[in-house]
Amino acid sequence: MSALGLRRRATVLAALRTWFANRGFLEVPTPTRVPSPAMEEHLHGLPAGDAWLRTSPEFALKRVLAMGLPRIYEIGPCFRAEESGPWHGTEFLMLEWYRVGAPLSALVDDVESLVKACADALVVAPPEWTHWTVAQAFSNLAHVDLATATATTLSDHADDTWDEAFFRCFLDHVEPRLPPATFLSDWPVSQAALATIRTDAHPRAERFEAYLNGVELANAFHELVDAAEQRTRFEAANHERIALGYEPHPVDEGLIRAVGQMPPTSGIALGVERLVAALCGWDSIHPGRVSNDAD
Amino acid sequence: MYQTSDIKKGLKIELDGAPWTVVDFLFVKPGKGCAFTRTKLKNLITGNVLDRTYKSGESLAEADVEEHTMQYLYSDGTDFHFMNMEDFSQLGIPVEVVGKTSDFLVEEMEVQVLFFKSNPVNIDLPNFVELAIEYTEPGIKGNTSQGATKSATLITGAEVQVPLFLEQGEILKIDTRTRQYVSRVR
Repeated sequence: MSALGLRRRATVLAALRTWFANRGFLEVPTPTRVPSPAMEEHLHGLPAGDAWLRTSPEFALKRVLAMGLPRIYEIGPCFRAEESGPWHGTEFLMLEWYRVGAPLSALVDDVESLVKACADALVVAPPEWTHWTVAQAFSNLAHVDLATATATTLSDHADDTWDEAFFRCFLDHVEPRLPPATFLSDWPVSQAALATIRTDAHPRAERFEAYLNGVELANAFHELVDAAEQRTRFEAANHERIALGYEPHPVDEGLIRAVGQMPPTSGIALGVERLVAALCGWDSIHPGRVSNDAD
Repeated sequence: MYQTSDIKKGLKIELDGAPWTVVDFLFVKPGKGCAFTRTKLKNLITGNVLDRTYKSGESLAEADVEEHTMQYLYSDGTDFHFMNMEDFSQLGIPVEVVGKTSDFLVEEMEVQVLFFKSNPVNIDLPNFVELAIEYTEPGIKGNTSQGATKSATLITGAEVQVPLFLEQGEILKIDTRTRQYVSRVR
């Protein structure tokens, strides 16, 4: 951490709140201590007494959406066990926002506009964005046709599942070579998480990610609004957790109800400290954070 | 066996029958995927560098490597003979292992010998050695023009490029990693 780093973060936080206020978004702080920390099999919660620390504010914010509020956001701490490194902290600052009735493309515009507002506040040049589908990125950078690729085309590790081979290829060949600011849309169906699935000739998850300087900045969904499908995915993720040797997460009944009641919505989560670091050109998130170490 | 959580700089692992050391590593985790550790590995024998990504929970084989300080004794034409400075045992190491820096070896020089599965596989010379010029074209006095060089043969047989003003018999400091002349030793 550094005094300059903390000033930069404060500048970005103020710019973000102004950006949302100017567009009629309501700031909604929700509890950090929650009944279920996550759905995805690869997110690990930290227990907090008889509950959990949230890995994202998503479940609580969806209950707020179900109440009928159309534009909401939250900036607050989230916690993910077993994650630390230059670009990861067990505790980190997440921004989530939701637009009821908006297509996913509205959030692409939001990210461009909001990152520009933060860059302006920091007096640095805003990034020029490249828009690719995941398949285009694999084709351009890894020379792989994702539509026909098998696990063995994607990875030389014989025991990789398709998803593992996908990520290994992504991490080895795609992510390190991404243009400085890139949107990647249309993810494989197996990585839909809480997104809707577009069922045309090539089914794809209606999801995009934004990358800045090769680091994942944000993840957006056209949100699933089918309670039964939501329960099926929650249970499938828990089966997968058990198969991987992890404790299953409690099924969040409040979330399942909310998913059945909320209108079609696009939502996005963005790592605030990563945004600050990327715009400032740091090689980790840590200059902009207060650490627990007494130094 | 090591786990991915054991990965740190300098960790020595075995991969495809060769010893490698971790030069750099980074924890990475795609939003919806499992965690990986991205590593940059260096082959301890060839010096080749490899990028490799490990999935969390994957295990890595420990490399059976040891390093010993040894003193160079002599060459018999096929092997270079060294003495282990800890137990004073002697060992002949073939020229292929000693490698392309063998022409910087002088008697009594101490080097680091890397053993993989008890076999010597690589030799690290000191980064800098001081060696006399055995032969070079006569020097051109006062010619210190930038960049102009000539060839010089050192007493060990190594050939290096040196500035024009240097004479036979002068002692030079050489960087063994780059084979470059560094300075004259007065």
